[in-house]
Amino acid sequence: MSSPTDLPKDAESRLAELGHGFFTSDLSVNEFLLVKETGFHPLGFVMGSSIYHTGIQGRRWSKSQELSKLTEAMYNARELAMTRMEEEADELGADGIVGVRLDVNYYEWGSDAAEFIALGTAVKAEDGKSYRNKQGKPFTSDLSGQDFWTIMQTGYVPQGLVMGTCVYHIAHRGLGQTLGSVGQNIELPNFTQALYEARELAMTRMQDEGNTLGATGIVGVRLEEKSHQWGSHTIEFLAIGTAVTKSAGDVTLPRPTVIISLDN
Amino acid sequence: MTGPGDLPEAATRRLESGSFSSGLTVPDFGACLQMGLRPVGLVQGFCAMQWSWYGAGSPYMRGTSPYGTSDGGQGAYSQSWRCPHGLVSAEHRAWGQNYEQTWVESAWLQGFGSAYGRLIEEAKEVGAHGIIGVTDTSHNLADMNVTEFHMLGTAVVVEDAPAPPGGDPWSTYLAGQRLAKLIEAGFMPISVIAGIASVRVWAYCMTEYLMEGRVGTYGWGGATSTQEIEQVSEGHLAARALAREHVRRQLGSDMLHGVSITTAEREVGSGDQVLECTLRGTRVRRFKGFDPMPTPRPTVRLS
Amino acid sequence: MSPDSPLPIDVRAEMRSAAAWLADGGAAPNGRAVTSDLTIDEALLLHSIGWEPVELVFGVSVTSVPVGVWTWGRGEIGAASDAHNLAVHTAAERLGRECAKAGGHGVVGVQVSVEVNPHHVDVHLVGTAVRPVEGKKPGQTFVSDLSARDFVLLSNAGWSPLGLSFGASFIYAPRRDAATAIRQSSQNIELTNLTEALYSARESAMERMQASGLAMSAQGVVGVRITEGPMRFARHVIGFTAWGTAVRLVADNHVYLKPDMVLPLDDAVVQFEAQSLRGR
Repeated sequence: MSSPTDLPKDAESRLAELGHGFFTSDLSVNEFLLVKETGFHPLGFVMGSSIYHTGIQGRRWSKSQELSKLTEAMYNARELAMTRMEEEADELGADGIVGVRLDVNYYEWGSDAAEFIALGTAVKAEDGKSYRNKQGKPFTSDLSGQDFWTIMQTGYVPQGLVMGTCVYHIAHRGLGQTLGSVGQNIELPNFTQALYEARELAMTRMQDEGNTLGATGIVGVRLEEKSHQWGSHTIEFLAIGTAVTKSAGDVTLPRPTVIISLDN
Repeated sequence: MTGPGDLPEAATRRLESGSFSSGLTVPDFGACLQMGLRPVGLVQGFCAMQWSWYGAGSPYMRGTSPYGTSDGGQGAYSQSWRCPHGLVSAEHRAWGQNYEQTWVESAWLQGFGSAYGRLIEEAKEVGAHGIIGVTDTSHNLADMNVTEFHMLGTAVVVEDAPAPPGGDPWSTYLAGQRLAKLIEAGFMPISVIAGIASVRVWAYCMTEYLMEGRVGTYGWGGATSTQEIEQVSEGHLAARALAREHVRRQLGSDMLHGVSITTAEREVGSGDQVLECTLRGTRVRRFKGFDPMPTPRPTVRLS
Repeated sequence: MSPDSPLPIDVRAEMRSAAAWLADGGAAPNGRAVTSDLTIDEALLLHSIGWEPVELVFGVSVTSVPVGVWTWGRGEIGAASDAHNLAVHTAAERLGRECAKAGGHGVVGVQVSVEVNPHHVDVHLVGTAVRPVEGKKPGQTFVSDLSARDFVLLSNAGWSPLGLSFGASFIYAPRRDAATAIRQSSQNIELTNLTEALYSARESAMERMQASGLAMSAQGVVGVRITEGPMRFARHVIGFTAWGTAVRLVADNHVYLKPDMVLPLDDAVVQFEAQSLRGR
């Protein structure tokens, strides 16, 4: 599996079985009904996976810096998993994938190896119109069935799950110099600058991806911080969200009814 | 980076790009559009503060209150207790005091304030009228004596409305339907605010014995029955009342809506404690008269 | 839109006028600042019955437990129950006093935190003082751990909260002599002395709660929560507490709510919490 264009054999045969009106999906009944309500039909459960070796990068103990090789690795691994999932969806002739989940698994047998998995449900528009994105690929989104319905009501169409990442190393003893004024509680400007920059980089990269898709904006952005298996001084900042473009004019949501629930 | 006016390079680049990003969930995004709010960007502010407990207020320098031994002083809270026993001994704590650690409070406020200032600055950069769905966290970084203050929010423009006075965006912890309901209730958000109080309890003999349950043993409490440990209760109440007072000072005659309270207790010796209380909420101002909606219909789920 | 439950206003227009008002200098109204930890839903509901929040109020009490009470003994530990009683009572009283001082008629949504330590019992109460918008004279200040929503529902049904009703009981787990223990270890039988001890301790905690409710001339206690279990620091001591809000029918008759039935189409999704943005 050197390039993402060749899916495993089982995937091919599984996908071949789908697409004759039979579908699988991890949508709940409510989500299924709402996706149908939006004018889409589920085609099948799709996934992509990539096992990546991450963890090689020299860091200088005393310097706060971005670990660009690790950043690249984390990014590429997710991108590979996503691309494979998109290929599966493409095989099914899907317009898009909803409810995408991105997971990272670590196994005991590979200390620095991590499996990146992308899962979701491929959907196709029932009116025959193409909802594929600017790059001719099925759109991806981490929206639930409810969210998918809501966003389509507002006149926005999802384009793709976009992300940006930045792996950063925080200096261990770099503080020594700034500790000159013992007994004071002070801001650490270098520190602030470094971590602020790291988060901004992750967000900028995500936004760049959105721009590539010609998105009007990105909704539901989450900013995650994880140390994975690198120890507490190395942190991955991951920004992830769904890029959307405005399609129709303003479609106003029906005004909700006010109720008070007597349920626990 | 000593104050606003100094965003990192990536921030400026990110905020200049044409598309918006928003931290809002889809339902909140929908509600936001419905209210005529156009998201213009995800904005953040950050500040890393170093704490050193080895100075004033350190457990190793017990009793080094900068206010000396007198009550009050510089307008800060302090309250003293004296030993009822008339004993003179190096081991007997004949005197105790609760005092406000204003230096801790001002450092915390500096961290919160800097992060907030940068959040506002980023929002101004994108020409926002307001910031909604603000989250703020402060937690300790790695294993060092460093606390980071991080704020995140979605900058919005109110369509067909003029910019706020001075171009300073308003801000709120609320987003989506909750914000819509706030407006419906007749309140306009002004800003997110926080107040902190840090009170040091420096126990005197009675507090020490009572906290250790040693009263009956020496017969000094006069009784083996239960009694209130006044100094500690007062300390807790003072920390909370001070935090409330600190937000009140920023409030004018506005309302602080949806306060979240966090309290922390740190034991630094028998009966000696540091008590902290933080209040955060959205400062809101009534823009129309009291006009309540009718009580909603009660419902029961059928599932 | 059913006439029963309209949102009476156009949110978009309202937002725009609020923003314009602010841009125009939007002066704050005169009067004292208000602090409240109610959610917007609770505030709206409170408004719907003509009430408003006044002030965030606190009540704290730390009460000593004499040394030696936890060491093994028999029966009930009176000193522990006394300490609990004193701490809750003092804290609730302070809460009520803060409320009265702020001009509130009562405290709703009280968060109760009770911590029993070897040498002291800590009780922390936080709530929001509320009052009717039309300045009526306050009656007896009430303290209630009901949420603002529950308070509104109860009020509409004609009931009024009176105060916190509580009770506690701490006992030593009864010992069995060695011969009994050995005899019982090979049999499947009820350990009657254990049953009896725990049963009666539970009963006395609830009985005390009831008694405190009756003392307020309440007609009932709603939302009772009970805790029970061994003490963290003394596994042979079992503590029981019971809590609730004492209520009384103030209308002539109970007003029936007649709820509508709804069939929701949501999954049990977590409602938006801004903190979830951080993926924590």
